[in-house]
Amino acid sequence: MLNRRGLIPFLFLLPGGAWLLLFFVVPMLLMLLVSLQEGSLSTGYSLTWNFGIYPEVISEFWEQFVRAGVYALITTVLTLVLGFPMAYFIAFRGGRWKNALLLIVILPFFVSFVIRTLNWKLLLADNGIVFGALKDLGLLDPAFHLIATPAGVISGLVYNFLPFMVLPLYVALEKIDRRLIEAANDLYATRAQAFWRVTFRLALPGVVAGSLLTFIPSVGDFINAELIGSRDTTMIGNIIQFQYLTANDYPAASALGFVLVALVLLLVAVYVRAVGTEQLTG
Amino acid sequence: MFDERSEQTRIERAIARALKEQPISRRLFLRRTGLVTASALSLPAILAACQAAPAASGGAATIRWANWPAYIDIDEETGGYPTIEAFQEATGHEVTYTEAVNDNEEFFGTINPALDAGQSTGWDLITVGGWLIERMVRLGYLQELDHAKLPNFAANGAELYKNSWYDAGNTHSVVWQAGITGIGYDRDQTGRDITSFEDLLDPEFAGRVGMFSEMRDTLELAILSLGVNPADATTADATQAQQKLLEAAERGQFRNFYGNEYYDELAAGNLALSIAWSGDITQMQLYDNPGDVQFVIPEEGGLRWTDNLAIPNGAANVDAVHQLINYWYDPAAATPLSEYIGYFTPVAGIAELIQADADEAREAGDVETADALDAVAATVNPTEEQIANTHEDAPLDEAQEAEWNALFLEVMAG
Repeated sequence: MLNRRGLIPFLFLLPGGAWLLLFFVVPMLLMLLVSLQEGSLSTGYSLTWNFGIYPEVISEFWEQFVRAGVYALITTVLTLVLGFPMAYFIAFRGGRWKNALLLIVILPFFVSFVIRTLNWKLLLADNGIVFGALKDLGLLDPAFHLIATPAGVISGLVYNFLPFMVLPLYVALEKIDRRLIEAANDLYATRAQAFWRVTFRLALPGVVAGSLLTFIPSVGDFINAELIGSRDTTMIGNIIQFQYLTANDYPAASALGFVLVALVLLLVAVYVRAVGTEQLTG
Repeated sequence: MFDERSEQTRIERAIARALKEQPISRRLFLRRTGLVTASALSLPAILAACQAAPAASGGAATIRWANWPAYIDIDEETGGYPTIEAFQEATGHEVTYTEAVNDNEEFFGTINPALDAGQSTGWDLITVGGWLIERMVRLGYLQELDHAKLPNFAANGAELYKNSWYDAGNTHSVVWQAGITGIGYDRDQTGRDITSFEDLLDPEFAGRVGMFSEMRDTLELAILSLGVNPADATTADATQAQQKLLEAAERGQFRNFYGNEYYDELAAGNLALSIAWSGDITQMQLYDNPGDVQFVIPEEGGLRWTDNLAIPNGAANVDAVHQLINYWYDPAAATPLSEYIGYFTPVAGIAELIQADADEAREAGDVETADALDAVAATVNPTEEQIANTHEDAPLDEAQEAEWNALFLEVMAG
């Protein structure tokens, strides 16, 4: 039996829970219902429980699903590789510059996502200020280009989502008790051993949180693929956008969206289970 | 997010412009043309234009207008729109001008849910392509125009742009501007004149060719290259055209499928050639590209299109919106507009008025402005040859449209 004190945590859950119910669960169910409709613009759409749409869209667009997953995975790994030393430096060596350095990490968020991506595109244009200069100096093949390649799209994703990795890593690293590292050193651990067995292990909650915060938005992103990419870098987000806005095929768009959310939930469940849920909560 | 995306072209161009030097800056050009047009846009002329449609009895109204990027005259000193400001001054109405349309399909996608539910779209006046007008009339999404309130349209509208296939009798729309879809190319990069649709598929230009993300533009140009008029094309023709595009796409011929942003890629030299809109290339030659950018209608044929003013269901202040539509058919407004944007104008006699401004500038000793205006005067009306070489969009029914969209998605998304 729950006494009054036992109920309090659940009361705390109520506002957030109601929010999620209203703005996540209900829309998801509506999306599921829309995906099972059939019809057209002029006749309208009506619910026919057309479950056949699911195998249909998956067989037609599995390539874009896989591509989105691969891009997001590479993005996550790259942001981790780039972000860990950054977060480590700020947490351990930042000193009185900590806040200023964190501000610099967050600064790109002061500019909208789309404009950031466009700037990236201009910066990396074939004859832009970076590659143009390198080509003029003869350091780069004149035919080289990053825009309209998979590497270009991934570079945009990494650029846009790097702060999502750095911030949780910083929080995790910052709260590590330095005496544990000293103790490891006292016990004859090499610096590498102390890092791997103490620092990295204790930073794992940050790694888990950071990779979720990077992977999930990357996998559904369509802005980077649209602005920086080409037809060969089309991600599932672009297909959903086309189906919804251009083809006005709401059932197909909803089915694709629903599959994407389900796949992401599944991947997250597997990942969190493999790493251990306690890492999420620290 | 979509509001931001519609800002995309404008911001991108501004940044690109800031990054490179230009032989004539747009700002300088404007300052010069501004001097000329100020005389054409005298207050009495505007008042006369608005007399026919008296101000709404309630007085001042707000008009929320969705238009495409780079489709209005801009005073870059103040950031304002001179012709719209003149309208506001003369009528007391306020026009909220937004560059909200980047792509017909996408714009329709954003307003369809509201129209379907019988709610206001948030727009009182929209500017969309002809085929979309046909679809929206079919779905009952547009309000009928009251031609009694549009005397300028009856008096000054050019016959070529009246009574089109998508809106017989102009019951629901009038043309805003018009143009041609053809090929734009940078001759410095191609090294030869481009004449044919097949040049877009030439392996010599692999990876440096731009296509359009609007299904009709790209697929119908390919259909024309098969010797078929899009208006008569069957789904079998569309499939054959798709195969042709698909073969090229799969060997990496196309850099990407673009909306408005092809302009910057072509101006920046990332593309050697691209499907292009005629008016854009005029602007690029004048302002943005020091190289040798040309526009050509492919010998197999180009596409002739219009963008149209229409009032969606749920619009407010419909009387004031009629006044604004009527205003654009007054030469006093249409002339400075055309001098700036350089598309085909649906208003008769504008080329002559631009020519008069050019002569005036030449007499005043401003050769640069005179040359620029001469160039614009030559492009605001299609030539006989251009009309003979271009075709209008295919009228597609819903099933056909869905089939063609599916065919095109395969080309575009790989």
